[in-house]
Amino acid sequence: MTEPLKPVYLEDKLKQVRGDGHLRYRSRSLPTWCPGCGYFSVAEGVTVALNRLQVPLKDAVVVSGIGCASRFPFFMDTYGLHTLHGRTLPVATGVKVANEALTVIAVGGDGDAFAIGGGHIPHAARRNVDITYMVFDNGVYGLTKGQTSPTSVYGFVTPSTPYESHDQPLNPLMMLLSYGASWVGQAYAGHQHHLSDMIAEAIAHRGFSYLHILSPCVTFDKTEMTYANLDIRVRDLPADHDPSDRLAAMKHAAATGHPALGLYFREERPTLGDGFADVATRAGRKTKTGAARAGGKKKTAKSK
Amino acid sequence: MVDRNGSTDIQFAIIGSAGDGTIAAGDILKRAMAGLGYKVIAFDIYPAEIRGFGKCISRVRVTTEQAYSLKRHSDVLVSLDDSYAIPHVGEVCDYGAVIYEASPIARLPEGAHITAHIRPTQLPYGLNQREISERATSAARSRNIVILGYLAGLYGIDPQAFRDVIAAKFERKAAIVTTSNTTAFDAAYEVGRTVFKLDQGSLGEPAPAKSGETATMMTGNGAIVRGCIDAGLDTFFGYPITPATTILERLAAELPRHGGRVLQTEDEISAISATIGAGYAGARAATATSGPGLALMAEMLGLGVMGEIPSVVFVSQRGGPSTGMPTKTEQSDLNMAVFGGAGDAQRIVLAPTNVDGCYRTAGKAFEMAEKYQTPVIVLLDLYLSNRYETVVPPAKNPFAPDLNKGLEAWRGDGDYQRYQQTEDHVSPRALPGEDGGMHTVTGLEHSELGKPSDLPENHMAMSAKRHEKLKAALTHPDFTICKRFGDEGPIDVGILGWGSTFGEILEAMFAAQAEGIRCSAMKVVMLSPLPEEQIAAFMDDCDAVLLPELNYEGQLANLISGALGRPLTRLNRATGAPMQVEEILAEVRRLARAKAA
Repeated sequence: MTEPLKPVYLEDKLKQVRGDGHLRYRSRSLPTWCPGCGYFSVAEGVTVALNRLQVPLKDAVVVSGIGCASRFPFFMDTYGLHTLHGRTLPVATGVKVANEALTVIAVGGDGDAFAIGGGHIPHAARRNVDITYMVFDNGVYGLTKGQTSPTSVYGFVTPSTPYESHDQPLNPLMMLLSYGASWVGQAYAGHQHHLSDMIAEAIAHRGFSYLHILSPCVTFDKTEMTYANLDIRVRDLPADHDPSDRLAAMKHAAATGHPALGLYFREERPTLGDGFADVATRAGRKTKTGAARAGGKKKTAKSK
Repeated sequence: MVDRNGSTDIQFAIIGSAGDGTIAAGDILKRAMAGLGYKVIAFDIYPAEIRGFGKCISRVRVTTEQAYSLKRHSDVLVSLDDSYAIPHVGEVCDYGAVIYEASPIARLPEGAHITAHIRPTQLPYGLNQREISERATSAARSRNIVILGYLAGLYGIDPQAFRDVIAAKFERKAAIVTTSNTTAFDAAYEVGRTVFKLDQGSLGEPAPAKSGETATMMTGNGAIVRGCIDAGLDTFFGYPITPATTILERLAAELPRHGGRVLQTEDEISAISATIGAGYAGARAATATSGPGLALMAEMLGLGVMGEIPSVVFVSQRGGPSTGMPTKTEQSDLNMAVFGGAGDAQRIVLAPTNVDGCYRTAGKAFEMAEKYQTPVIVLLDLYLSNRYETVVPPAKNPFAPDLNKGLEAWRGDGDYQRYQQTEDHVSPRALPGEDGGMHTVTGLEHSELGKPSDLPENHMAMSAKRHEKLKAALTHPDFTICKRFGDEGPIDVGILGWGSTFGEILEAMFAAQAEGIRCSAMKVVMLSPLPEEQIAAFMDDCDAVLLPELNYEGQLANLISGALGRPLTRLNRATGAPMQVEEILAEVRRLARAKAA
């Protein structure tokens, strides 16, 4: 708060926003989210991050499942794949395996990720497939109108749990840390600049990066994960946190009362693509003897 | 055994307990015979357990000209375990041989020894399997090799062919394994060569190979793998399941040499999801599974239909429902392949009928998936996946490398429309990485632009697009969607068939023709969309139509009678075993008699 407050004029702001070029990543479809939804911040963050990394529109693929969060690809002007409930990660894996040159971003909500899709996450993480997975966690099922989700608080009252939910919420960060994800971080939709920075860092990471984004649902959750509550509760990871220390990261992840934002864990290790390159060497790759695919050569970029 | 025209037709059945080396013996036998230039068709039956109690049977039919199926009656039965072999003594034909352990290790109660069951019309050959093995290798483990040496001696087969196969089979093991097995083989060969022969005991010459052709022996799954590689498969995702596992294993070993990538996924849902993802990104992508896996894949195949994404799924059927009989054959996933999933999700379903067909269908499946932008299911079954046949690989790669109607075909004003309505109902498909083609594929009903739309006229138009584009597959170049065999013109009994059962159907047709019945058979390879015109024309020619298939109700019979509304006679067997030629023949005779009456 050392900087003196300066008046911001709308016209100057618009000039700045249009000028930096991140809006070219947005499609002409208007988002279908409710006004005030945290996902607007995420959409902004992704476009800013892609712009900062100068990822060409044609080389970015956004893969999603089903849910409010999964509508995201329609609002991007990149390639997009809106798949089935819970199948985001295996589809994204297939895209990346087919063409290593693509920047693959997988997105989904907490239900898509940890309820129906929970079985795929450990395997994408342990394979270290070089994609970015962002879960927009609002702790509620929005698109089906407000049922409890795997990250909802204990005792949550919803249409499907009218007498309170009796399930403990999952701890996604703990899960991802133990699954062997090579990059784990957390951000909050209410802190736009930090969110954009974290998304850029997650996309830039070589390997499987998992970004957990706390993002309030203004329509179906008026009591728990609200902006008012999260604004007070979120904190930064301590400055002395060492992101190469998995156990320390878990300790911070366990403190769910005051969710810490920032980079929990990062490691460099061979990706799935590196594994394929190794397999090709061991198998003694010959020249391609199948049907000579003119198009295929153009399409399939060499591994890094 | 030589028949009257001098050609060879002999079927061996080796029967033992799991762990006896029964399947290995059969494997060496068929490879040796194929190496000598004979045509081979072979099929193993084994239990779902790896060791311990379970009956293993390896049947190998050796002929001069390629046979279409195994015979009900074997000419030679070899017992490695009498308790399992005794129920099969009846399958040995008259003047056929039964080879058994002459000196069982324990004194067996009356009836437990196979000699009590051999009929007077069969030729008993007692062999000291255990003793010869122990003398040669100081272990009884080589009994399976001993019986091979004995067979080679008994029927005057060149022993070097066996020695070569044995050396190749144990190449990766310690040298002692090859030498001791060869010693056991040679010892038993001498016994077989010098034993007093009860029958004529020799084979006819194999047919001379046609110039430039090298015949090789393959299973159905092996042919699928070759077809995949020749079609330029880029990525394969699989999850182990009997009887499709060997497709995953062989591709894992071979595809990386040809520039492809293979990944074992966490489940079948992941396998098909990654296949669809790779197909979307422009790769030739495939997965392989069995019925239970296909059930899990149904939802994602729907996305493939809706999103018009190419993918190929090989489904080797086994006994069902549920876990069913994992190591037994059946043709009961046709309904699921054609109809499975939510909504009007028509896709292409192909079913090859023999090993050579597996190769061609696999390659063509990739062409069709790409050309018509759709999932293609290739239906196999355990009997076809695992049976060996001698095939001659084509000299020239027969598959088209790239049939994608790409972004360059886009002719339109304004934004690129992924689902543009065109004359052939196939829209130009941009692939990620291509400039100017950015779009989002969705499982939601969508407009031509690819944006979600639930307008009534749009859903009708898009449903029509997805259905109508597949009709072109009925005339896909260089692919047999159905084919008629046997007598031309009006006939007494016509036999319709699909999948592995068609081999038995052909043999039955030949037998019926030999009896003077005017008989013809049609194989249906494309099951969706169904070649209705050709089937109707065939049925027009038939006084009676028989449809034998390995399921309880007649799934293809339902499909055909539903589409054409014509009567046909069903012959259904759900036993887990392949259809018997004699069963089909009996039904053909009955129908022919009913017509005459």
